[in-house]
Amino acid sequence: MRAFKAMLKNEMKLSLRGMDMVIFAICAPLAVLVLLGVLYGGSPAFEGAGYTFLEQSFGAVSTIAICAGGVMGLPLVISDYRHKKILKRFQVTPVSPGLLLAVQVCIYAIYALASLLLLYAVGALFFGLRLRGSWGQFLGGYFLVMLSMFSIGMMVGGVAPNTKIAGIIASALYFPMLILSGATLPYEMMPRALQRVSDLLPLTQGIKLLKAAALGDPASDVLVPIIVMAALALACAGVSVRFFRWE
Amino acid sequence: MENTIEIRHLSKSYGDVPAVSDLSLTVGRGEVFGLLGANGAGKSTAIECALGTRKADSGSVRILGLDPRAQRKTLFERVGVQFQEAHFQDKITVEELCETTRSLYREAADGAALLARFGLSGKEKRPVSELSGGQRQRLFIVLALLPRPEVVFLDELTTGLDAKARRGVWKYLAGLKAEGLTVFLTSHFMDEVEALCDRVCILKGGRQVFCGTVAQTVAAGPGGTLEDAYLWLSGEEGTDDESL
Repeated sequence: MRAFKAMLKNEMKLSLRGMDMVIFAICAPLAVLVLLGVLYGGSPAFEGAGYTFLEQSFGAVSTIAICAGGVMGLPLVISDYRHKKILKRFQVTPVSPGLLLAVQVCIYAIYALASLLLLYAVGALFFGLRLRGSWGQFLGGYFLVMLSMFSIGMMVGGVAPNTKIAGIIASALYFPMLILSGATLPYEMMPRALQRVSDLLPLTQGIKLLKAAALGDPASDVLVPIIVMAALALACAGVSVRFFRWE
Repeated sequence: MENTIEIRHLSKSYGDVPAVSDLSLTVGRGEVFGLLGANGAGKSTAIECALGTRKADSGSVRILGLDPRAQRKTLFERVGVQFQEAHFQDKITVEELCETTRSLYREAADGAALLARFGLSGKEKRPVSELSGGQRQRLFIVLALLPRPEVVFLDELTTGLDAKARRGVWKYLAGLKAEGLTVFLTSHFMDEVEALCDRVCILKGGRQVFCGTVAQTVAAGPGGTLEDAYLWLSGEEGTDDESL
Protein backbone atom coordinates (compact mmCIF):
# COMPACT_ATOMS: atom_id res chain seq x y z
CA MET A 1 0.00 0.00 0.00
CA ARG A 2 2.88 2.32 0.83
CA ALA A 3 4.48 1.55 -2.53
CA PHE A 4 1.16 2.16 -4.28
CA LYS A 5 0.67 5.55 -2.63
CA ALA A 6 4.22 6.75 -3.24
CA MET A 7 4.14 5.63 -6.85
CA LEU A 8 0.69 7.06 -7.47
CA LYS A 9 1.75 10.43 -6.08
CA ASN A 10 4.93 10.63 -8.13
CA GLU A 11 3.50 9.17 -11.33
CA MET A 12 0.56 11.59 -11.09
CA LYS A 13 3.01 14.48 -10.78
CA LEU A 14 4.93 13.22 -13.81
CA SER A 15 1.73 12.87 -15.79
CA LEU A 16 0.62 16.42 -14.92
CA ARG A 17 4.06 17.71 -15.89
CA GLY A 18 3.59 16.00 -19.26
CA MET A 19 0.35 18.03 -19.85
CA ASP A 20 -0.96 15.65 -22.57
CA MET A 21 -3.78 14.31 -20.44
CA VAL A 22 -4.71 17.74 -19.13
CA ILE A 23 -5.32 18.72 -22.74
CA PHE A 24 -6.92 15.53 -24.06
CA ALA A 25 -8.84 14.37 -21.00
CA ILE A 26 -9.77 17.65 -19.27
CA CYS A 27 -9.77 20.48 -21.83
CA ALA A 28 -10.97 18.61 -24.93
CA PRO A 29 -14.22 17.22 -23.47
CA LEU A 30 -14.92 20.57 -21.82
CA ALA A 31 -14.56 22.28 -25.21
CA VAL A 32 -16.99 19.80 -26.79
CA LEU A 33 -19.52 20.33 -23.99
CA VAL A 34 -19.32 24.10 -24.20
CA LEU A 35 -19.67 23.95 -27.97
CA LEU A 36 -22.75 21.74 -27.77
CA GLY A 37 -24.11 23.93 -25.00
CA VAL A 38 -23.68 27.12 -26.98
CA LEU A 39 -25.08 25.59 -30.18
CA TYR A 40 -28.02 23.59 -28.80
CA GLY A 41 -28.17 24.83 -25.23
CA GLY A 42 -31.46 24.17 -23.56
CA SER A 43 -33.39 23.17 -26.66
CA PRO A 44 -35.13 19.78 -26.47
CA ALA A 45 -33.31 16.78 -27.97
CA PHE A 46 -36.10 16.41 -30.54
CA GLU A 47 -39.70 17.62 -31.04
CA GLY A 48 -41.58 16.86 -27.86
CA ALA A 49 -38.63 15.31 -26.00
CA GLY A 50 -38.70 15.58 -22.22
CA TYR A 51 -34.98 16.36 -22.02
CA THR A 52 -32.55 18.74 -23.68
CA PHE A 53 -30.05 18.00 -26.41
CA LEU A 54 -27.19 18.60 -24.01
CA GLU A 55 -28.66 16.19 -21.47
CA GLN A 56 -28.89 13.59 -24.20
CA SER A 57 -25.22 14.16 -25.11
CA PHE A 58 -23.84 14.40 -21.59
CA GLY A 59 -23.16 10.67 -21.21
CA ALA A 60 -21.33 10.60 -24.52
CA VAL A 61 -19.18 13.65 -23.85
CA SER A 62 -18.26 12.33 -20.41
CA THR A 63 -16.55 9.32 -22.02
CA ILE A 64 -14.02 11.41 -23.97
CA ALA A 65 -11.72 11.51 -20.94
CA ILE A 66 -12.06 7.75 -20.42
CA CYS A 67 -11.22 7.24 -24.05
CA ALA A 68 -8.23 9.57 -24.02
CA GLY A 69 -6.78 8.01 -20.88
CA GLY A 70 -7.67 4.42 -21.56
CA VAL A 71 -6.97 4.08 -25.23
CA MET A 72 -4.25 6.72 -25.65
CA GLY A 73 -2.57 7.47 -22.30
CA LEU A 74 -2.46 4.00 -20.80
CA PRO A 75 -1.03 2.01 -23.72
CA LEU A 76 1.49 4.74 -24.51
CA VAL A 77 2.82 5.03 -20.96
CA ILE A 78 3.15 1.26 -20.62
CA SER A 79 4.99 0.80 -23.90
CA ASP A 80 7.09 3.91 -23.27
CA TYR A 81 8.21 2.61 -19.86
CA ARG A 82 9.03 -0.72 -21.43
CA HIS A 83 10.92 0.93 -24.28
CA LYS A 84 12.91 3.17 -21.93
CA LYS A 85 13.71 0.07 -19.82
CA ILE A 86 12.07 1.61 -16.79
CA LEU A 87 10.11 -1.63 -16.42
CA LYS A 88 13.39 -3.52 -16.56
CA ARG A 89 14.63 -1.54 -13.58
CA PHE A 90 11.38 -2.33 -11.76
CA GLN A 91 11.92 -5.99 -12.61
CA VAL A 92 14.93 -6.10 -10.28
CA THR A 93 12.88 -4.73 -7.37
CA PRO A 94 10.15 -6.50 -5.37
CA VAL A 95 7.32 -4.63 -7.14
CA SER A 96 4.63 -6.68 -8.90
CA PRO A 97 3.44 -5.96 -12.46
CA GLY A 98 -0.09 -5.72 -11.08
CA LEU A 99 0.86 -2.80 -8.84
CA LEU A 100 2.56 -0.93 -11.69
CA LEU A 101 -0.51 -1.36 -13.87
CA ALA A 102 -2.87 -0.45 -11.03
CA VAL A 103 -1.02 2.83 -10.43
CA GLN A 104 -1.41 3.85 -14.07
CA VAL A 105 -5.06 2.76 -14.20
CA CYS A 106 -5.70 4.81 -11.08
CA ILE A 107 -4.13 7.92 -12.64
CA TYR A 108 -6.34 7.75 -15.71
CA ALA A 109 -9.38 7.04 -13.53
CA ILE A 110 -8.60 10.24 -11.61
CA TYR A 111 -8.47 12.22 -14.87
CA ALA A 112 -11.77 10.67 -16.00
CA LEU A 113 -13.55 11.46 -12.73
CA ALA A 114 -12.14 14.99 -12.62
CA SER A 115 -13.38 15.51 -16.16
CA LEU A 116 -16.83 14.13 -15.27
CA LEU A 117 -17.16 16.48 -12.30
CA LEU A 118 -15.99 19.47 -14.31
CA LEU A 119 -18.35 18.70 -17.20
CA TYR A 120 -21.33 18.31 -14.91
CA ALA A 121 -20.51 21.47 -12.98
CA VAL A 122 -20.11 23.58 -16.12
CA GLY A 123 -23.17 22.00 -17.78
CA ALA A 124 -25.35 22.55 -14.71
CA LEU A 125 -24.11 26.06 -14.06
CA PHE A 126 -24.26 27.46 -17.58
CA PHE A 127 -26.59 25.27 -19.62
CA GLY A 128 -29.20 24.06 -17.14
CA LEU A 129 -27.97 20.45 -17.38
CA ARG A 130 -29.30 17.92 -14.90
CA LEU A 131 -29.19 14.17 -14.64
CA ARG A 132 -32.70 12.74 -15.05
CA GLY A 133 -31.83 9.17 -14.17
CA SER A 134 -30.07 7.98 -11.04
CA TRP A 135 -26.50 8.97 -10.21
CA GLY A 136 -25.90 5.46 -8.94
CA GLN A 137 -26.80 3.93 -12.27
CA PHE A 138 -24.85 6.57 -14.16
CA LEU A 139 -21.69 6.06 -12.08
CA GLY A 140 -22.06 2.28 -12.33
CA GLY A 141 -22.17 2.61 -16.10
CA TYR A 142 -19.30 5.08 -16.04
CA PHE A 143 -17.07 2.65 -14.15
CA LEU A 144 -18.02 -0.17 -16.47
CA VAL A 145 -17.05 1.90 -19.51
CA MET A 146 -13.83 2.84 -17.74
CA LEU A 147 -13.08 -0.77 -16.95
CA SER A 148 -13.53 -1.93 -20.51
CA MET A 149 -11.70 0.99 -22.14
CA PHE A 150 -8.80 0.74 -19.69
CA SER A 151 -8.48 -2.98 -20.20
CA ILE A 152 -8.29 -2.41 -23.97
CA GLY A 153 -5.52 0.10 -23.29
CA MET A 154 -3.61 -2.23 -20.98
CA MET A 155 -3.86 -4.95 -23.57
CA VAL A 156 -2.52 -2.71 -26.34
CA GLY A 157 0.31 -1.49 -24.11
CA GLY A 158 1.02 -5.06 -23.09
CA VAL A 159 1.13 -6.73 -26.49
CA ALA A 160 2.44 -3.95 -28.77
CA PRO A 161 6.06 -4.81 -29.61
CA ASN A 162 7.24 -1.19 -29.41
CA THR A 163 6.17 2.37 -28.72
CA LYS A 164 5.62 3.19 -32.36
CA ILE A 165 3.23 0.31 -32.94
CA ALA A 166 1.49 1.04 -29.64
CA GLY A 167 0.99 4.60 -30.89
CA ILE A 168 -0.44 3.39 -34.19
CA ILE A 169 -2.83 0.92 -32.55
CA ALA A 170 -3.85 3.55 -30.01
CA SER A 171 -4.63 6.07 -32.74
CA ALA A 172 -6.46 3.44 -34.79
CA LEU A 173 -8.69 2.78 -31.79
CA TYR A 174 -8.93 6.29 -30.39
CA PHE A 175 -9.91 8.45 -33.33
CA PRO A 176 -12.60 6.21 -34.91
CA MET A 177 -14.09 5.58 -31.48
CA LEU A 178 -14.04 9.23 -30.58
CA ILE A 179 -15.69 10.29 -33.83
CA LEU A 180 -18.04 7.38 -34.52
CA SER A 181 -19.19 6.30 -31.09
CA GLY A 182 -21.11 9.47 -30.39
CA ALA A 183 -18.57 10.88 -27.95
CA THR A 184 -18.06 13.98 -30.08
CA LEU A 185 -20.46 13.74 -33.03
CA PRO A 186 -23.88 12.95 -31.54
CA TYR A 187 -25.07 9.44 -32.46
CA GLU A 188 -28.55 10.77 -33.14
CA MET A 189 -27.26 12.98 -35.93
CA MET A 190 -25.55 10.16 -37.82
CA PRO A 191 -27.15 8.56 -40.90
CA ARG A 192 -28.54 5.04 -40.32
CA ALA A 193 -25.65 3.33 -42.13
CA LEU A 194 -23.06 5.05 -39.95
CA GLN A 195 -25.06 4.23 -36.83
CA ARG A 196 -24.80 0.55 -37.72
CA VAL A 197 -21.00 0.78 -37.98
CA SER A 198 -20.94 2.76 -34.79
CA ASP A 199 -22.94 0.06 -33.00
CA LEU A 200 -20.01 -2.32 -33.43
CA LEU A 201 -17.69 -0.13 -31.37
CA PRO A 202 -17.54 -1.02 -27.69
CA LEU A 203 -17.58 2.64 -26.71
CA THR A 204 -20.93 3.10 -28.50
CA GLN A 205 -22.37 0.38 -26.29
CA GLY A 206 -20.95 2.14 -23.25
CA ILE A 207 -22.40 5.46 -24.29
CA LYS A 208 -25.84 3.89 -24.74
CA LEU A 209 -25.56 2.66 -21.19
CA LEU A 210 -24.67 6.10 -19.88
CA LYS A 211 -27.36 7.78 -21.94
CA ALA A 212 -30.01 5.47 -20.55
CA ALA A 213 -28.82 6.19 -17.03
CA ALA A 214 -28.62 9.95 -17.63
CA LEU A 215 -32.09 10.14 -19.11
CA GLY A 216 -33.66 7.65 -16.73
CA ASP A 217 -34.60 5.12 -19.43
CA PRO A 218 -35.71 1.67 -18.25
CA ALA A 219 -32.94 -0.83 -17.63
CA SER A 220 -34.16 -3.42 -20.14
CA ASP A 221 -32.55 -1.58 -23.04
CA VAL A 222 -29.14 -1.69 -21.46
CA LEU A 223 -28.63 -5.40 -20.90
CA VAL A 224 -26.77 -5.92 -24.19
CA PRO A 225 -24.32 -3.04 -23.61
CA ILE A 226 -23.63 -4.27 -20.07
CA ILE A 227 -22.84 -7.77 -21.28
CA VAL A 228 -20.68 -6.52 -24.17
CA MET A 229 -18.69 -4.16 -21.95
CA ALA A 230 -18.13 -6.64 -19.14
CA ALA A 231 -17.08 -9.43 -21.50
CA LEU A 232 -14.65 -7.12 -23.27
CA ALA A 233 -13.14 -5.94 -19.99
CA LEU A 234 -12.60 -9.50 -18.79
CA ALA A 235 -11.06 -10.68 -22.06
CA CYS A 236 -8.66 -7.73 -22.44
CA ALA A 237 -7.60 -7.68 -18.79
CA GLY A 238 -6.88 -11.40 -18.99
CA VAL A 239 -4.75 -10.95 -22.10
CA SER A 240 -2.84 -7.98 -20.66
CA VAL A 241 -1.91 -9.77 -17.44
CA ARG A 242 -1.11 -13.04 -19.22
CA PHE A 243 1.18 -11.35 -21.76
CA PHE A 244 2.78 -8.73 -19.52
CA ARG A 245 6.43 -8.26 -20.48
CA TRP A 246 9.03 -6.29 -18.56
CA GLU A 247 11.22 -5.79 -21.58
CA MET B 1 32.40 -19.72 3.14
CA GLU B 2 28.70 -19.39 2.42
CA ASN B 3 27.94 -18.84 -1.28
CA THR B 4 25.67 -15.91 -2.02
CA ILE B 5 25.85 -16.20 -5.81
CA GLU B 6 26.03 -19.53 -7.61
CA ILE B 7 26.01 -19.69 -11.39
CA ARG B 8 26.20 -23.19 -12.87
CA HIS B 9 26.80 -23.99 -16.54
CA LEU B 10 25.02 -20.87 -17.76
CA SER B 11 24.66 -20.55 -21.54
CA LYS B 12 22.83 -18.01 -23.63
CA SER B 13 22.79 -17.49 -27.41
CA TYR B 14 21.15 -14.85 -29.56
CA GLY B 15 20.10 -16.80 -32.62
CA ASP B 16 23.19 -18.70 -33.67
CA VAL B 17 25.57 -16.38 -31.86
CA PRO B 18 26.63 -17.62 -28.43
CA ALA B 19 26.86 -14.71 -25.97
CA VAL B 20 27.75 -16.74 -22.87
CA SER B 21 28.91 -20.34 -22.96
CA ASP B 22 28.98 -22.67 -19.96
CA LEU B 23 29.72 -20.03 -17.32
CA SER B 24 30.10 -21.32 -13.78
CA LEU B 25 31.14 -19.26 -10.79
CA THR B 26 30.42 -18.77 -7.13
CA VAL B 27 30.75 -15.69 -4.97
CA GLY B 28 30.95 -15.90 -1.19
CA ARG B 29 29.37 -13.61 1.37
CA GLY B 30 31.30 -10.41 1.85
CA GLU B 31 33.31 -11.00 -1.29
CA VAL B 32 33.81 -8.49 -4.11
CA PHE B 33 33.80 -10.29 -7.42
CA GLY B 34 34.77 -8.72 -10.74
CA LEU B 35 33.54 -9.98 -14.10
CA LEU B 36 35.97 -8.69 -16.70
CA GLY B 37 36.16 -8.76 -20.45
CA ALA B 38 36.20 -6.58 -23.53
CA ASN B 39 33.03 -4.96 -24.88
CA GLY B 40 30.93 -7.76 -26.36
CA ALA B 41 32.64 -10.47 -24.28
CA GLY B 42 29.29 -11.35 -22.68
CA LYS B 43 29.47 -9.54 -19.34
CA SER B 44 26.11 -7.81 -19.59
CA THR B 45 24.38 -10.95 -20.86
CA ALA B 46 25.89 -12.89 -17.96
CA ILE B 47 24.63 -10.30 -15.44
CA GLU B 48 21.17 -10.17 -17.03
CA CYS B 49 20.86 -13.95 -16.97
CA ALA B 50 22.07 -13.97 -13.36
CA LEU B 51 19.38 -11.42 -12.43
CA GLY B 52 16.70 -13.20 -14.43
CA THR B 53 15.93 -10.21 -16.65
CA ARG B 54 17.03 -12.49 -19.47
CA LYS B 55 16.17 -16.15 -19.66
CA ALA B 56 19.23 -18.35 -19.99
CA ASP B 57 19.12 -21.17 -22.55
CA SER B 58 20.55 -23.58 -19.99
CA GLY B 59 22.21 -23.65 -16.62
CA SER B 60 21.05 -22.48 -13.21
CA VAL B 61 21.44 -19.39 -11.04
CA ARG B 62 20.94 -19.06 -7.29
CA ILE B 63 21.36 -15.80 -5.44
CA LEU B 64 21.03 -16.06 -1.65
CA GLY B 65 19.75 -19.55 -2.40
CA LEU B 66 16.85 -18.17 -4.44
CA ASP B 67 15.94 -18.54 -8.11
CA PRO B 68 15.88 -14.98 -9.55
CA ARG B 69 13.04 -15.75 -11.97
CA ALA B 70 10.80 -17.92 -9.82
CA GLN B 71 11.41 -16.07 -6.54
CA ARG B 72 11.87 -12.58 -7.94
CA LYS B 73 9.90 -10.66 -5.33
CA THR B 74 11.56 -12.28 -2.32
CA LEU B 75 15.03 -12.06 -3.81
CA PHE B 76 14.97 -8.41 -4.84
CA GLU B 77 14.05 -7.26 -1.33
CA ARG B 78 17.67 -8.17 -0.57
CA VAL B 79 19.50 -7.43 -3.82
CA GLY B 80 20.40 -4.06 -5.32
CA VAL B 81 21.15 -3.55 -8.99
CA GLN B 82 22.80 -0.80 -10.98
CA PHE B 83 22.49 -1.33 -14.71
CA GLN B 84 25.09 -0.08 -17.14
CA GLU B 85 22.70 2.56 -18.45
CA ALA B 86 20.42 4.68 -16.32
CA HIS B 87 16.72 4.21 -17.02
CA PHE B 88 14.26 6.72 -15.58
CA GLN B 89 10.97 8.44 -16.30
CA ASP B 90 10.90 11.72 -18.25
CA LYS B 91 10.98 14.80 -16.04
CA ILE B 92 11.39 12.81 -12.80
CA THR B 93 13.43 14.53 -10.09
CA VAL B 94 16.14 13.01 -7.91
CA GLU B 95 13.90 13.13 -4.87
CA GLU B 96 10.94 11.52 -6.64
CA LEU B 97 13.09 8.73 -8.02
CA CYS B 98 14.52 8.03 -4.57
CA GLU B 99 11.14 8.16 -2.89
CA THR B 100 9.53 5.82 -5.44
CA THR B 101 12.43 3.39 -5.22
CA ARG B 102 12.42 3.39 -1.41
CA SER B 103 8.69 2.72 -1.31
CA LEU B 104 9.19 -0.59 -3.11
CA TYR B 105 11.15 -2.11 -0.22
CA ARG B 106 10.05 -3.14 3.24
CA GLU B 107 13.10 -1.63 4.94
CA ALA B 108 14.88 0.89 2.81
CA ALA B 109 17.90 2.94 3.78
CA ASP B 110 17.71 6.69 4.48
CA GLY B 111 17.67 8.27 1.04
CA ALA B 112 18.89 11.72 2.11
CA ALA B 113 21.88 10.28 3.98
CA LEU B 114 22.93 8.17 1.00
CA LEU B 115 22.55 11.09 -1.39
CA ALA B 116 24.73 13.18 0.91
CA ARG B 117 27.30 10.40 1.16
CA PHE B 118 27.54 10.32 -2.64
CA GLY B 119 27.83 14.07 -3.02
CA LEU B 120 24.28 14.67 -4.24
CA SER B 121 22.92 16.86 -1.44
CA GLY B 122 21.14 19.89 -2.80
CA LYS B 123 20.29 18.08 -6.04
CA GLU B 124 16.99 16.64 -4.73
CA LYS B 125 14.75 18.93 -6.78
CA ARG B 126 16.76 18.61 -9.97
CA PRO B 127 15.39 16.55 -12.87
CA VAL B 128 17.49 13.40 -13.24
CA SER B 129 17.89 14.18 -16.94
CA GLU B 130 19.72 17.42 -16.08
CA LEU B 131 22.34 15.76 -13.88
CA SER B 132 25.85 15.38 -15.26
CA GLY B 133 26.97 11.90 -16.29
CA GLY B 134 28.94 11.45 -13.09
CA GLN B 135 26.11 12.67 -10.86
CA ARG B 136 23.66 10.35 -12.56
CA GLN B 137 26.06 7.45 -12.17
CA ARG B 138 26.34 8.17 -8.44
CA LEU B 139 22.56 8.50 -8.15
CA PHE B 140 22.06 5.03 -9.61
CA ILE B 141 24.62 3.60 -7.20
CA VAL B 142 22.54 5.20 -4.43
CA LEU B 143 19.39 3.56 -5.83
CA ALA B 144 21.15 0.17 -5.86
CA LEU B 145 22.08 0.64 -2.19
CA LEU B 146 18.64 1.91 -1.04
CA PRO B 147 17.24 -1.59 -0.29
CA ARG B 148 20.09 -2.16 2.24
CA PRO B 149 21.08 -5.06 0.03
CA GLU B 150 22.98 -8.18 1.01
CA VAL B 151 24.17 -8.49 -2.58
CA VAL B 152 24.68 -5.67 -5.04
CA PHE B 153 25.24 -5.93 -8.79
CA LEU B 154 27.10 -2.99 -10.29
CA ASP B 155 27.52 -2.96 -14.06
CA GLU B 156 30.35 -0.57 -14.93
CA LEU B 157 30.47 0.88 -11.48
CA THR B 158 32.41 4.11 -11.93
CA THR B 159 32.33 4.80 -15.67
CA GLY B 160 32.08 8.56 -16.06
CA LEU B 161 33.20 9.44 -12.54
CA ASP B 162 36.15 11.72 -11.80
CA ALA B 163 39.14 10.48 -9.80
CA LYS B 164 37.93 11.83 -6.47
CA ALA B 165 34.42 10.46 -6.85
CA ARG B 166 35.77 7.03 -7.79
CA ARG B 167 37.88 6.93 -4.64
CA GLY B 168 34.84 7.94 -2.61
CA VAL B 169 32.73 5.15 -4.12
CA TRP B 170 35.48 2.57 -3.53
CA LYS B 171 35.85 3.62 0.07
CA TYR B 172 32.14 3.42 0.71
CA LEU B 173 31.86 -0.03 -0.88
CA ALA B 174 34.84 -1.24 1.13
CA GLY B 175 32.99 -0.18 4.27
CA LEU B 176 29.84 -2.08 3.23
CA LYS B 177 31.94 -5.10 2.32
CA ALA B 178 33.35 -5.10 5.83
CA GLU B 179 29.76 -5.30 7.06
CA GLY B 180 29.18 -8.38 4.89
CA LEU B 181 27.89 -6.94 1.60
CA THR B 182 28.59 -9.13 -1.43
CA VAL B 183 29.47 -7.18 -4.57
CA PHE B 184 29.33 -8.42 -8.14
CA LEU B 185 30.74 -5.84 -10.51
CA THR B 186 32.00 -5.30 -14.01
CA SER B 187 34.62 -2.71 -14.79
CA HIS B 188 37.01 -1.68 -17.50
CA PHE B 189 39.38 -0.05 -15.02
CA MET B 190 42.04 -2.37 -13.68
CA ASP B 191 43.02 0.02 -10.90
CA GLU B 192 39.44 -0.20 -9.69
CA VAL B 193 39.42 -3.98 -9.93
CA GLU B 194 42.68 -4.12 -8.00
CA ALA B 195 41.39 -1.75 -5.34
CA LEU B 196 38.07 -3.52 -4.82
CA CYS B 197 37.99 -7.11 -6.01
CA ASP B 198 38.92 -10.24 -4.13
CA ARG B 199 38.47 -12.46 -7.16
CA VAL B 200 37.90 -11.94 -10.86
CA CYS B 201 36.69 -13.93 -13.82
CA ILE B 202 37.75 -12.95 -17.33
CA LEU B 203 35.40 -13.58 -20.24
CA LYS B 204 36.42 -13.81 -23.86
CA GLY B 205 33.85 -14.48 -26.56
CA GLY B 206 31.40 -15.60 -23.88
CA ARG B 207 33.74 -18.19 -22.37
CA GLN B 208 35.56 -17.87 -19.08
CA VAL B 209 39.27 -17.90 -19.81
CA PHE B 210 40.52 -17.28 -16.29
CA CYS B 211 39.12 -17.20 -12.77
CA GLY B 212 41.10 -16.51 -9.65
CA THR B 213 42.18 -14.01 -7.04
CA VAL B 214 43.68 -10.72 -8.15
CA ALA B 215 47.15 -11.98 -7.12
CA GLN B 216 46.69 -15.20 -9.11
CA THR B 217 45.57 -13.16 -12.11
CA VAL B 218 48.62 -10.92 -11.95
CA ALA B 219 50.86 -13.97 -11.65
CA ALA B 220 49.24 -15.62 -14.68
CA GLY B 221 50.13 -12.67 -16.89
CA PRO B 222 53.41 -11.74 -18.53
CA GLY B 223 53.99 -8.30 -17.07
CA GLY B 224 53.52 -8.05 -13.38
CA THR B 225 50.54 -5.72 -13.41
CA LEU B 226 46.85 -6.63 -13.44
CA GLU B 227 46.34 -4.72 -16.65
CA ASP B 228 49.09 -6.70 -18.42
CA ALA B 229 47.56 -9.93 -17.17
CA TYR B 230 44.04 -8.85 -18.17
CA LEU B 231 45.05 -7.85 -21.68
CA TRP B 232 47.06 -11.02 -22.13
CA LEU B 233 44.39 -13.36 -20.74
CA SER B 234 41.47 -11.70 -22.48
CA GLY B 235 43.37 -11.75 -25.77
CA GLU B 236 43.00 -8.00 -26.12
CA GLU B 237 46.73 -7.46 -26.32
CA GLY B 238 47.92 -7.02 -29.88
CA THR B 239 44.52 -6.32 -31.37
CA ASP B 240 44.96 -2.93 -29.79
CA ASP B 241 48.07 -1.94 -31.71
CA GLU B 242 46.63 -3.11 -35.00
CA SER B 243 43.49 -1.04 -34.71
CA LEU B 244 45.44 1.98 -33.60
